[in-house]
Amino acid sequence: MTARVAVQAERQLRGGLLDAYTATRRFLIRGMRQPDVIFGSVLIPVIFVVLFGYVFGSSIRLPGGGNYRSYLMPGLFAMSVLFNSNNVAVAVATDMSEGVVDRFRTLPIARSAIVVGRSLSSLVLGIPVLVVMILCGLAVGWRPEDGLGNAVLAFLLFELFGYAIGWLGVLVGLLAGGPQAADVIISIPTFLLGFISSVFVDPALMPAWLRVIAYWNPVSAVVTAGRQLFGNTIGPPPSGVWSLDHPIATTIVLAVVIMIVAIPICVRRYSHSTR
Amino acid sequence: MTEPAISARHLARSFGPTKALVDVSLDVVPGSVCALLGRNGAGKTTTVRILTTLLAADAGHAQVAGFDVHDQANEVRARIGVTGQTATMDELLNGAENLETIGRFCHLGAATSRRRARELLEQFDLVDATKLLVKQYSGGMRRRLDLAASLIHGPEILFLDEPTTGLDPVSRAEMWTSIRTLVAGGTTVLLTTQYLDEADRLADTIVVVDRGLVVAEGTPEQLKASIGRPFVRVTLPDVDPATLEKVRRLLGEEAEVSGRSVSAPAPQGLTTLEEVVGQLRELGVPVHEVGLEHPSLDEVFSAVTDHSQHAVAPAASTAGAA
Repeated sequence: MTARVAVQAERQLRGGLLDAYTATRRFLIRGMRQPDVIFGSVLIPVIFVVLFGYVFGSSIRLPGGGNYRSYLMPGLFAMSVLFNSNNVAVAVATDMSEGVVDRFRTLPIARSAIVVGRSLSSLVLGIPVLVVMILCGLAVGWRPEDGLGNAVLAFLLFELFGYAIGWLGVLVGLLAGGPQAADVIISIPTFLLGFISSVFVDPALMPAWLRVIAYWNPVSAVVTAGRQLFGNTIGPPPSGVWSLDHPIATTIVLAVVIMIVAIPICVRRYSHSTR
Repeated sequence: MTEPAISARHLARSFGPTKALVDVSLDVVPGSVCALLGRNGAGKTTTVRILTTLLAADAGHAQVAGFDVHDQANEVRARIGVTGQTATMDELLNGAENLETIGRFCHLGAATSRRRARELLEQFDLVDATKLLVKQYSGGMRRRLDLAASLIHGPEILFLDEPTTGLDPVSRAEMWTSIRTLVAGGTTVLLTTQYLDEADRLADTIVVVDRGLVVAEGTPEQLKASIGRPFVRVTLPDVDPATLEKVRRLLGEEAEVSGRSVSAPAPQGLTTLEEVVGQLRELGVPVHEVGLEHPSLDEVFSAVTDHSQHAVAPAASTAGAA
């Protein structure tokens, strides 16, 4: 009896993985066929580098001194994976508004396949964007100064965070009434999280109430983890903020918690969305 | 007799205050074609969505291929094909990629999915469009691809929700041909339609739904017998009493003259029309137009509600009809 249950569970798991692979493949083909979206998601980070690195950056002074652009780049890497969740939310909402979801729901596929496929494909499609950003960073003088191993670790951490946040994008896409609604709903938290943080400026100079938010903002922890691993840390770390004292652990725990909470909700929500 | 391929009992479903389905029961014999006939909003699509596991019923239950649509949804899904009203193919994928994706989701494996995709594209005359993205397809091609996608895993039962709505006459005829081919291969089909002639051409049994209720069911012949026959109408170029009288006599004693046209029952439909055309030619009278006229769907509804005592097997739920 238990043996049969085990066999069935194994078959289910294999079916689920296969379905997730098929869905990812489909979304990747779709992604490649949207050159305008690819162009946009590559261009925006480049604009950010120019805008913040030079337009605003020229008049930003870091409290501890040092090169602003090498302070900025880890922040922009985090921004780019954070903003990826906007694309995910809009894409999921678009899927849900099209007839294709009905087609998938009448197929004998694992309930998780479509949402897992969507999040995995956006992870893959985000990689070229990150590569472009790295090249931009290198071009404006940013360098990973603590060895290649740590730099790779930093990017893995950013991708882990981006993948987890992507699930919040999936959730918003499933709950929103349509693609435009999804875009608006997801943009508010991503903008606030992105800007009220240590991505662009040192929160030490912010008003007290905002400074507390910026310090405890998980995005600040992610960026700080990146700066540490790249050896880019500039400015004295604030005291008493646990998440900034242990930025790597914070990022990993945060990503895992988001996924543990969001993935089951997304799968349930997807399979029950019109029933 | 074998178990029905589709069996629904007292299905009901509301959306907020709107009662989409009040009480729908139906049985479909394996290998037959059942048409669910009704106006927009009659409950056709809601019925199909419940039977295809997309929607839960508020009340009642249904079995498809012997499995409960609610409790054994995945068993049902493995045995059905569904083509909805809206196109469900990915616009950014080409025909072959779309079919392959569906095949892989049905766990046919990569090689079999590719082979089945190729076969279906041939079967549905879409080979030339293999590499064309679906967004460049015409309406008729999209419907054919959708139908092809429903067939990739060789389903026992096929659900077609208004398969020809919005298609031009040529694409419509092509769709009918495709459906007939499938039926010849033994697939059970449940289709919904607003068109009486479509139900007539394709279905073995017709279930008429109105306001969420089954108001009549039977074979097309039974149904038509209950609502009156088609008639042939001959229209002359102008009002010429002598010629009108000649035509009236030709069309038999039930013929009626009105204006410059004469109409008479056409019990054999097209055959009667052909006979009449031949006879008119022999008679040598000038004719403006000759045509066959069918009772409209509206007439079907008024007929099944007005003459329910001699309607075909009036459904038990008729009592509740408005």
